[in-house]
This record gives sequence, C-alpha cells and structure tokens, in this order.
Amino acid sequence: MDFPSSLRPTLFMTGPLGLNDVSDLSMCSWQNVLTQPEAQPQNLKNGALHVTKDLLWEPATPGPLPMLPPLVDSWEPGLTAQDLLFRGGYRYRRRPRVVLDVTEQISRFLWDHGDIAFAPIGKLMLENFKLEGAGRCTKKTTVVSVKKLLQDLGGHQPWGCPWASLSNRQRRFSILGGPILGTSVASHLAELLHEELVLRWEQLLLDEACTGGALAWVPGRTPQIGQLVYPAGGALDRLHFQEVVLAPGDNPQFLGKPGHIQLQGPVRQVVTGTVQGETLLAVRSDYHCAVWKFGKQWQPALLQAIQVDKGATGISLSPHLPGELAICSRSGAVCLWSPENGLQQVYKDPETLVFRDSSSWRWADFTAHPRVLTLGDRTGVKMIDTQGPPGCGLLLFRVGAEASCQKGERVLLTQYLRHSSPECLPPTLHLVCTQFSLYLVDERLPLVPMLKWNHGLPSPILLAQLLPPPRPGCVQPLLLGGQAGHLQLLHLAGEGVSAPRLAGPPQSLPSRTDSLPAFPLLEPKIQWRLQERLKAPTIGLAAVVPPLPSASTPGLVVFQLSVAGDVFYQQLRPQADSSPRRDAQPPGDTRPDCRAPTASWTPQDTAGCSQWLKALLKVPLAPPVWTAPTFNHHHLLGSMELQREEGVVQQPGVLREAMAQGRLLLQRDLGSLPLADPPPAPESGPADELSERLREAWAGRGAAWWERRRQARTSGPRRQPRRPKRRTQLSSTFSFSGHVDPSDGTSPPHSPEGPPAGALPRSPITSPSQELTPDAWSQGIPSERRQTLHDYMAKLPLQRDTPGHAGTPPSSQASSTRATHSRQHTPILSGSQHPRKKPRMGF
Amino acid sequence: MSDFSEELKGPVTDDEQVETSVLSGAGMHFPWLQTYIETVAIGGKRKKDFAQTTSACLSFIQEALLKHQWQQAAEYMHSYFQTLEDSDSYKRQAAPEIIWKLGSEILFYHPKSNVETFNTFADRMKNIGIMNYLKISLQHALYLLHHGMLEDAKRKLSEAETWRHGEKTSSREILINLIQAYKGLLQYYTWSKKKRELSKLDKDDYAYSAVAQDVFNHSWKTSVNISALIKMPGVWDPFVKSYVEMLEFYGDRDGAQEVLTNYAYDEKFPSNPNAHIYLYNFLKRQKAPRSKLISVLKILYQIVPSHKLMLEFHTLLRKSEKEEHHKLGLEVLFGVLDFAGCTKNITAWKYLAKYVKKTLMGNHLVWVQEEWKSRKNWWPSFHFSYFWAKSDWKEDTALACEKAFVAGLLLGKGCRYFRYILKQDHQILGKKIKRMKRSVKKYSIVNPRL
Repeated sequence: MDFPSSLRPTLFMTGPLGLNDVSDLSMCSWQNVLTQPEAQPQNLKNGALHVTKDLLWEPATPGPLPMLPPLVDSWEPGLTAQDLLFRGGYRYRRRPRVVLDVTEQISRFLWDHGDIAFAPIGKLMLENFKLEGAGRCTKKTTVVSVKKLLQDLGGHQPWGCPWASLSNRQRRFSILGGPILGTSVASHLAELLHEELVLRWEQLLLDEACTGGALAWVPGRTPQIGQLVYPAGGALDRLHFQEVVLAPGDNPQFLGKPGHIQLQGPVRQVVTGTVQGETLLAVRSDYHCAVWKFGKQWQPALLQAIQVDKGATGISLSPHLPGELAICSRSGAVCLWSPENGLQQVYKDPETLVFRDSSSWRWADFTAHPRVLTLGDRTGVKMIDTQGPPGCGLLLFRVGAEASCQKGERVLLTQYLRHSSPECLPPTLHLVCTQFSLYLVDERLPLVPMLKWNHGLPSPILLAQLLPPPRPGCVQPLLLGGQAGHLQLLHLAGEGVSAPRLAGPPQSLPSRTDSLPAFPLLEPKIQWRLQERLKAPTIGLAAVVPPLPSASTPGLVVFQLSVAGDVFYQQLRPQADSSPRRDAQPPGDTRPDCRAPTASWTPQDTAGCSQWLKALLKVPLAPPVWTAPTFNHHHLLGSMELQREEGVVQQPGVLREAMAQGRLLLQRDLGSLPLADPPPAPESGPADELSERLREAWAGRGAAWWERRRQARTSGPRRQPRRPKRRTQLSSTFSFSGHVDPSDGTSPPHSPEGPPAGALPRSPITSPSQELTPDAWSQGIPSERRQTLHDYMAKLPLQRDTPGHAGTPPSSQASSTRATHSRQHTPILSGSQHPRKKPRMGF
Repeated sequence: MSDFSEELKGPVTDDEQVETSVLSGAGMHFPWLQTYIETVAIGGKRKKDFAQTTSACLSFIQEALLKHQWQQAAEYMHSYFQTLEDSDSYKRQAAPEIIWKLGSEILFYHPKSNVETFNTFADRMKNIGIMNYLKISLQHALYLLHHGMLEDAKRKLSEAETWRHGEKTSSREILINLIQAYKGLLQYYTWSKKKRELSKLDKDDYAYSAVAQDVFNHSWKTSVNISALIKMPGVWDPFVKSYVEMLEFYGDRDGAQEVLTNYAYDEKFPSNPNAHIYLYNFLKRQKAPRSKLISVLKILYQIVPSHKLMLEFHTLLRKSEKEEHHKLGLEVLFGVLDFAGCTKNITAWKYLAKYVKKTLMGNHLVWVQEEWKSRKNWWPSFHFSYFWAKSDWKEDTALACEKAFVAGLLLGKGCRYFRYILKQDHQILGKKIKRMKRSVKKYSIVNPRL
C-alpha cells in the first residue's frame, strides 16, 4: 500500500486536552481543502484547479419524504429538558446553571405514591401515637390525638389539595411531625430520586444507545433492488425488512408490506455487510446481540444470538472474514465473535483508555488487518492485536493535545472507513467524531490526525457512513448524522500518495422538519403532533448510490430512521457542472444566490405526505407516562356528567350554570358534595383497616393487631387492595391532564370514581383492577387515569416483573413497551394483575 | 431545594456555539446544552437584544455556508460585524477570530471574490484581532500560495516574521517558527526553479555564475529558516524533504543525514513512516551498505508492515547472507499479505510462492510453520476461500495461479482454492499449473516428508 508521500505539517504535542491550540490551524474548512505544499512546486497549479470545483448535491425535494405505504406506530416524545430542569430559579438569576428540579418531582412522587412514601413512617411512629381521645392528655403540645385528627379530616383528604382547609390541630400535627416526616422521607427518597434524575438527564444530554445507527441497506439480487432493515413498533422491538426498488432519477419504490421479526428488546443497532458474497445482518439490543445470514432467497436466517449481561454498546461486522463480528460491552470487554467459533474475549479493561471518564460506553471496530481491532471509548481509540498478549495495544487516537482537542471534548463515534473502492481512499482510515470536530486518523500513523475539521453540528454525531464514489474518479462522500436530525455531507479525497483532505466545502442536507410544508394545513394540535413526530431523534442513516444507467448523472438516496420508527428518504443529485455560473446574475439582484433551492414539492410528494399523515392520525395516542395536574373544567364537566350517568347524585347543571354566569361555585350550590363522602364506616369490611385497627387499639391489642397484619401481608398475597379510595376521591374534583397533553381531544371523558367508600372494591367502575381484556382496559379508562391505575396496581402483591423483560432499563419507551406487553397477555382472573415494568420512581 | 439540587454541570454562560471551551469543569462538554436550557425558562440573565441578534446572525451565516449560499452568507456577514462592538468584553475579544474564520471561508468560495478582496479582508482582520496577527498572516500566505502567488505569499510571511507585539509566549514562538519555515519552503521553491534553470544552462554561459550565486544565497537563507522548526516535535514532511534536498545539493551529506536521523529516531516525534522512508531513500541514494538499509527498513517494517517498500525490504533480506535475515524475509512477506489493501498484490504473492518453496527446499520447514501457526485459522477464509478462487481466476489468472501455489504449499493439495485452479483448463498456464502440482506434492507443509 502507498503511504502519502508528504503529510500536512502539524505540531506534535503530548499532554492533556486544551493544551495545544497553536498548531490548530485547521479552524477553517477551506484550510483543509488547500493542497498541502508539496516539495515539488510544479504541480502546485494543478492542485489549485482541482480543488475549486464546487461540489454540491442538490436535493430533489426541499425535504425528505416519508416511506409509502405508511406504516406508523404510536410514539411518545418522552422526557424533555423542561420536565427535568428547575424552572424559574430566582437565585440563579445571576449565574444561570443547570439544576434538576427535584422539588417538583418529589412532590409528584409523594402525591402519586404517598403510601410508599409515608406508610413506613406511620409504622415507625405507631408506638408513640395516642389513638384514643385527647381528653386526659397532659402533654397537650406534644401528643396529638389520632381520633381528633381523623375527625378533623372528616373524609376530606386535604392531601395534595392546596385549597383544603386545615384545622389548628392538624396544623400542629404537621408542625410536630414535619421534621421527622420531612427529613426521613426526603433523605430516603432523595438519593434514589436524584440518581434517577441524573440518569435521565444524562440520557437526555447524550443518548448513546443508538450509536452507529439502526438502519441498514442490504443489496439484493439486482443492483436496483435492495432491502431496508430497521426496527419499528412503538418499542423498536420489531425488525422490519422492507424491499425497495431504486429507479434512477425517480423516487424509490417500496414494495408491499415489510416482513418482520419480533424481538425481545428494543433494537439499538443494525449492521449489514457483504463479505465474499455472503451478506450478514447483525443486530444489537441492550442486552442481546444476534446475527442473521441472508440466504439464496434473500430471506434472513438466524445464525446465532447471544446475551450480553453487562449491556452491549457496539457491534460491527468484519469487512474481511465472512461471519466474524466484534462486540463490546459496558464492562470494557471486547470480543471477537463468529457463529462457528463462538466468543473470544480479546480485551478487557473497565477503565477508560486515556484518562478517567465516567462513561461506560465502548466501541469496537475492525482495521485493515483482520486480526487487529480498534477499541474506542470517550477518551480515545486503541488498536488491539487479537493474537498478541492480552491488554497490550497501541493508541490510535487520544483525546488530548496530540489532536489539539478542546477542554471537555470526548469521542462520540469512531468508525473504520472500510474501503468500498480500492482506487479512492486507502483502507487504513478511521473516522473519529467528537462534539466539536471530526478527525481522520490513519492507522499507520497513530495519534496524529490526517485531517481535522470543526463540524459544528448542534447535536451529537452518532451516525456516519462513507459512500463509494458515485462516479469512478469522483471523490468519496461521507455522510454524517446528528441525533437531532442534522445531516452533513463531506467529500473526501486522497487517493494514492496524496494525504486525505476535504475536497470542497461541506454541505448540510435537509432534515425531516424541512418537510413540514409538504403536509397539508392542519389544526394546531395535529400540527404540533406532526411537528413532534418529525422532530423525533434520528437513530438510523443509510445511503445508497443507485445503479447508473449509461451516461446518466449519478444520484444518491439517503434513508433516515427516526426513533418513532418512521423511515424518510431524500434523493440527491450532484449539481450540474454546466449550470450557468452565478456570475451571470445581474448586479443588484437581492436574491441571495441563483443557487436558491430549485427543488419544490410535486403534487405527488404532497399526496404522499397526506397519505402518511392520515395513517399517523389513525394511530391512537399512547397513554402519557405522567402528566402534570391542571385544573380543567372540561374534565370536571365530563366527569360530572358521567357520574350522573352512573346514578350518582350530582348536579353538573349547577356548575355549568355557575360557569356560564362567571360566578364562584359555592358549596351550597353543589349541595352534598362533601357530605357524599362519609368517613369510612366501621362495617365497610376488610378494606377499612383503620377502623379495625382503632377497634383493636381501643381494646389494648394494637401491637398484636399490627403484628398479625404484618404477617398476613408478608406471607400471603393480599386479597384486598390497600385503601385505594382516599386520593382518588379527590381527583374527581379536578383532573390530571397534561396541559400539553394532545390526548385531550381523543380520549374518552373522565371516568368517575365510586364515591361510597365501602362499595369501592366491588363497584363496576373499578373493573380495571380486575383486568378483563387489555383492550377494555385501555378503552374504558381515560388516559389521564391510567397512570393512577398503574400505580395502584403496582402496589398489589402479585405484581412481579417477568424475567423476560426484567433487563429492559427504564426508558422513554416505557409506556409503549408496557402497552405492547399488556396486549400480549391473555385475560387474567380477577384480582391478579398483568405484569408491567415497575418504574423505579414515579415519573 | 438545596438538599437535593446539585450543579450537574459547570456554570453556563450565555454564549453558545461560539466559544464552547469556556466552560470550566473536567467533565464532558455538551454544546447542545445551551439550547436545552433555553427551552426552559430557567431564570437567569436575559439575553440582550444585541446579543440575540448577533447570535441569530451567526447561525444564519453558518446555515448559509452549509448550503453553499455564499452571497447570502456575505450579506449576513455584513451585519455580523456589529459583534465587534459587543459590550461583553469576552465576546468582543473572541469576535475577530470568528469573523476571520467565517469571512475567509466566504471569500474563499464566493464566486465573485478574488485575491484582492481576500487580501484587503485579511489585512484588515490582522489588525483588528491583534492577537491573531500571526495566525491570519500564515493562513493568508497559504491562501496566496494556493493561488500560485509565491512572491506575495513570501512578502506576507516576511511581514509576519518581523511583527512584534506584547510579550513573547511559547505559542507565538511556535507560530513564528512555522512562518519562517513556510518562508523557507517558498525560498526552496524559487531555488529549485533556479536550479532547473541552471541545469539547462551551459557552464560557459555568461549567466551561469549569476544564477549559481543566486542558488547558493537561497540555500543559505532557507536552511536558517527551516532548521528551527524541524527541531520541534511534529510532522514536517515538506520542510524536511526540501531542506534535505538542498543540503544534499551542496554536498552536506552528514548534515542531511543528521536531519533525517533526528526526524526518524527522535522519540519526541510521532512515529511518522515518512521519516523512515526519507531516510531510507537518502541512504539508498548515498549507496549505503545493505546492512544499514536493512536496519532502517526493519523499523519501518515494525511501524507499517503493509508498505510497498516491504517488498524491497524482502529482496534485500533475501540477498543477505545472514540466516536470520532469510527468516525475516519470510516474515515480511507474510506480514504484507495480512493487510486488506494488499491482498491482490501479485508481486507479493509471486515472491511468497517462490520464497516459501525455496525455504521448504532449504529445509526450513519450521520457519514456515512458525509463520503459518498464527495465520492458519484465518488465512484460509481470508485468502483461499472458494469465493476468491472463482473471482481471482476471473479477474487475474496469474494472481490466482500464484495464490493457488501458496495455498497448495500451506494447506495441502486438498485445499479448495488449489483444487479450483487446478481444475481450470488454461492452455497457456497449463504447463505452469502442472509444475505447481508437482511442487505442491513434494513440498506442502501439510504432509511433511517424513
């Protein structure tokens, strides 16, 4: 192999990051375009001519188009920074900083899971309670009579309701109990809560799960036909195989419905590769990896699947040997894997390579030598000889002064640029992407990047693909994809003895949100939903150069996959060299450039978009993971009306009237609303354990009763749900519904809760707990109540995570996963609950 | 709040994209953090209108650049100059560099821009951002050099070289060294042009002595300019190359060798294969003894076993008298063929076929076995698969024959590759294949002659 005869001058400085900013002259992209000074001055002129040719790919449409026929699954945007960050921090006005909003989260938790939060405290304090009346009490200030307290409560649970009135006694109790309740609950919860919040926030800042991309192109029998392989379904656990026909100059045709394989977990990475005529497909899930082989009929046949206990972070297919893969896991291990020979661990080190970094992300790829692998982490990339002694290796890239890295810079993606064509770039190049820059490193000259370019992408680069030259003798396009949908196209040149360089200014490609104008005019709520959908993070990127019919211009089709499971495609063609130069423009023309987008939407495109939108609107919305409480009179009204239908005496008319007149609704207007909730009657059966406990305590057997209770609770499954009514009664006076919840319009009206406490477990409205059919379960309950119900059921003893999906970590898809699982289960008997992944905390 | 809240990240300033390195703290920096925070009304100091418009303008420029809308970018740039008057002193200081970065890019690609425009812009920017004077001068010179204007570039570099301002820092020293070295490189260009003229002239020509004098002067200046830089660790290929050429021309062989040896073997330098290649080529030109050449290539072999010089290295080793060199020669050939980019190198295969046979004939079965041991579990599928047999035969029959011979020797006559090639009926190669079959039968390592 040739080595570049003369390399770009660079200062070499060892040391930590942020040290070397002197030799970093590559701050402008045009610097990289320059032919480096050669020792022979005579070929200087030729180089200059070669470069200035402007390379630009023109998109055929102003934005990518959705794949048709539409296949749309439900999807929820998940957590945003808004949900996690502390809003309106007055004290941070001077120095704004990121503060996770623990107060809101903890109040929400206490509200939704009060029993978990407070029951243990109650148990602890039981000994010191005076359950009888307060009459003989001498230490008036320190002892609170439970009886009186309960009387004061009088069935109105002020818990969480900011408008509830408090008696002096209650106030005193809360003042006395506050310190104990406050610190113990808080200190126990805060740790867990904080841990969870940090995890979520980190995930929001950088979701590394889909590094490498989950969309892949499998070439078919003829060059025109191929298959797109990508995960879909709300939880991304269904692997789709969509056949595509590429017609030059025309939109790709998607043939029929995709075939699919149902998997156990969400698919994070899909890799395909053809080596020696054998096409393989490798898939990485969080804790599993699998490899398929495409047979004669282009049907995938599973070769092997393995489990990765610590969590797999990367998988790659060998470009040299058929059926060989490299996988790496969070434990820092790198394995060479082939279905015939099984796993062979070649490296293991839980520490990061260059300096200590908390991330457990690892990446493994191949090099030009089939027995040498690269191992990447946030701090660097190392080459490891699989045949050499364990642990040794050579650093290929170091986040430090060698590559003039900035402070805080970390590796986000590293990729071996496997050679697709021998006449272009040498097969020894590796791509390393950080938040700021892109580096091309040659494995023959470690540590010194051959090319550095500041990409400026505002979202993490997790996807990259080097394409074959569209025409022989052309430069090679390199496609970069940011998580937020940003796409950039670079051109790399560097054949033979010249060093790799950029062959022109980089270019951005339209993102999915640029397609918004192609959709018909929509009402705001649907528009918002569509926008959210188009803004979904990109998790897969595949580009294909369609076969060239003779003498036609080359093209490029870019497919992209969003986390919602949508596939969009964009056609690109190189700008014709013969187009009139912009110099011909009349002076004073204020139009920016005659290079203004010539592409426009054809009626065909907009029809396709409408078709896709129609399918999107047909999809029922997934229940929100959690929603912020708001006071919404629509819901109140709906609930009132329903309650009336249930035969409960209510007077929504009064409310409506009051609202129409704009006056305050007084309690006397409503009549017996508070009185309709009597305190739990003693004869209301086992559900009323408080009365029972009081009775026992009255008889002096309080401790024995508690012991008995506890045994019953720990030994056998509870027959009755524990006190389900209190806070649900309250919720009938206002609704939980997200102020941004788009489901308002589509979900059925608010369901009432049975007001008589004694009748609760038996009341027909509580049937969700008896779980008839999953469909009934999702239809009968308005979305905003489902969460409460989930929480309610989570407390029941039969509730266990099934081992099958125990490994699924809490993710933004939790809700959809849950929905999928619930649908797979057959109806269960009354009292037993369907399994569900219990969230670690209540959000 | 204070119980639970924790500052996850360091203080976040109002700056976005522009200066991302400001953030203190050892952890990872997220350039997109700012946009997240902006979606949440987190309190904090509100951005002034001025800051808002400048940052919006900046993003417009960047967007236009990425869409290759140079004219539009230039128009936005016009408005962006207001950032030079920012009341935030930090931003005001960072502004010239950003303006230079974006502005030079626009002017580099703008269809209506020309060298004069670029010159005017660069000269003005140099003096606005005093701190960036040297950097901009250097880039300006590179631009001129790229456009073939050597004299102008040289003048710019000379101007920069003599520029003095404020205190001397180490980074400025490096930059000045770089500038001087580039100047030296430009002088070399002139020198080599003159040298070519000189070679065309007759010695008796009246102009000869004048030109020769010129050539000599240049050399002297250049050596001063370049030698300072190449003592610093780095990749200085063009400088070293030209410097050595000049030293060589004036007969300073020891000087040239010292420069090259230092460039290749100094541990502070990165392991640049070119350093060893230059040294090897120099020694070859100097007709150095074979052992010296071998020792240079031995190091190159450790760095880049796939380099094409390795075949030359093999030839040297083969010709050597030492037995260990013969063994290394085998190792080198196997090493070359390990790499993905070399699998179709017919010369390497030819050498290997010949050399393996020779080694086996010379009763060095152990050597072959030793090399084969680490490769026997992957070479068969990497080189000698049925797929390659078919495709190699189709593309290059000569290559297929060489490979088949090696396959036969290493894997025995039962090997699929060997069998496939054997089965092919080829008139011209028929004889060769027959010979090959005989050799395989005789020497294959699978069935050692007991």
